[in-house]
Amino acid sequence: MFRVANKKFYSTASTLLKTPLHEAHIELGGKMVPYAGFEMPVLYKDQSHIESHNWVRSKVGLFDVSHMLQHRIEGKDAQALLQKITPIDLDLLPAFTSSLSVLLNEQGGVIDDCIITRHGDESFYMVTNAGCREKDVNFIKSEAKNFSNLTHEPFEGTLLAVQGPKAQELLQKFTNEDLSKLYFGQTKFLKLSPINATVHVARSGYTGEDGFELSIPSSTPEESKQSLEFFRTLLNEFPDIVKPIGLAARDSLRLEAGMCLYGHELDETITPIEAALTWLIPKTRREQNNGFNGSSKILAQIKDKTLFSKRRIGVTSKGPSPRDGNKIFSEDGTEIGYITSGSPSPTLGGNVAQAYIDKKAKIGSNIKIEIRGKLRDGVVAKLPFVPSKFHKA
Amino acid sequence: MFRSVLRTSTVRAAFAPRIATFSTSRIIANSISHKVSKGSHVYKYLEEGPKSVKYTAEHEWLASFADESGFVGITQYASEALGDVTFVELPEVGDRVEIGDTIGSVESVKSASEIYSPVAGEIVAVNTALESEPSLINTDPIGEGWIAHIKYDDASAVEASEELLSEEDYDASLEEH
Repeated sequence: MFRVANKKFYSTASTLLKTPLHEAHIELGGKMVPYAGFEMPVLYKDQSHIESHNWVRSKVGLFDVSHMLQHRIEGKDAQALLQKITPIDLDLLPAFTSSLSVLLNEQGGVIDDCIITRHGDESFYMVTNAGCREKDVNFIKSEAKNFSNLTHEPFEGTLLAVQGPKAQELLQKFTNEDLSKLYFGQTKFLKLSPINATVHVARSGYTGEDGFELSIPSSTPEESKQSLEFFRTLLNEFPDIVKPIGLAARDSLRLEAGMCLYGHELDETITPIEAALTWLIPKTRREQNNGFNGSSKILAQIKDKTLFSKRRIGVTSKGPSPRDGNKIFSEDGTEIGYITSGSPSPTLGGNVAQAYIDKKAKIGSNIKIEIRGKLRDGVVAKLPFVPSKFHKA
Repeated sequence: MFRSVLRTSTVRAAFAPRIATFSTSRIIANSISHKVSKGSHVYKYLEEGPKSVKYTAEHEWLASFADESGFVGITQYASEALGDVTFVELPEVGDRVEIGDTIGSVESVKSASEIYSPVAGEIVAVNTALESEPSLINTDPIGEGWIAHIKYDDASAVEASEELLSEEDYDASLEEH
């Protein structure tokens, strides 16, 4: 198996897309893998997975997330479209603030998770997952047909996540703007000194640490070159605090932070209520006939908790780690759920996992997880495992 | 080992743990050693040292001794591809195993890989040191990082096996990557 899969990698490598930072990943000894159609670094030379993970929890890590898809949605009907395809209430979102939300199908299932930012009365910016690219674009286009006055423009560029307790200290070296005043969930267009283009800086992230996501325009060769040079500058000039971090640690960090990975915790058969994301539906959107996709099912589940039986929750264990797909049983042997992500926790020791489990199973109750044919002990636990350290007002 | 035990379902385009471990091959292939480390428990098991050391296409090594027994572990290539080993599941002493049976698993943060027995026989010892120090698989994979000691059912079959690779052939198989 090892060899077969390896050959597959090399035969498809030539057709994979490259981000504007690709050249730097190679220089840095990135171990490149195919990921959502892109060739992306999973780990870098001279850093183990655990070292990368711990570095982000103690210093600052740079993640190339340029493979994610960015969207501009503008026009009189832009808000109406977004409030049809997601349960967000954009009247509650001031300009230059952002919120997590979910693209929903008619059955209330999750097509993708997304971050929506308001830039103006009729102007929004959204980021969606790389793996759902084609599906999301088709979905938004078909939904947009119901509205006459809007434009939807998906675009690519350099997206760089700067994550860790020293993220502000690092970026502050490149701007006169006081970054301590930019709080979690807020965004701003800034000049970052060596870059000519204006950079969209969002205080957000996917690790549970404080941090930023930079959208650096890269639509011309000159812009791409500047974003690449900026990435190199961060690494070369501040090696004591900055390292590049790959997909491997990105996954273990978000898992500890209790965050969903689409395709694992979320899919088109799961509602945001089951996914423990009820907070994504603000009170103002919980009246009947609210008009977002799947609202009848979702609002019914909020009102009557007997209408769904499983919910997303944490699991901890010792010994072999639970992994995606492992079955979960109660102590009396009844099957009550399944693991969606799991791994040893570099921060906490032991194993941490996310799972869908019968909601009658309370936090703290003992469960059995079937791993490689044997039942192993586990405990239902609350999420997140590692508390988030966002920079809040 | 390295038939990944992770289940990948249809929508899970997200992570490809198996593939992730492979891409290290080009980086590490040049500096790799396939020899049993001298001074290790395995090397010193019998005074004259191992009679032969062979390898599987799935990256186990097998060090055979004159008393018709052998030690099994994973190669340095496999150990480097896995990364930080966080947990090793061992077989039980007294277990009977056939060729290809699972005799344990090696886990890193990212993935778990099963270890398959390259021989038929009985488990006569397991490396309990790995329970408290799984990183021995990283620091000395072909030595103190051994996993199981197996008494062969048929030593001549092991010797004649075409499935087991010589050091040269195993090395060549890595080059193909």
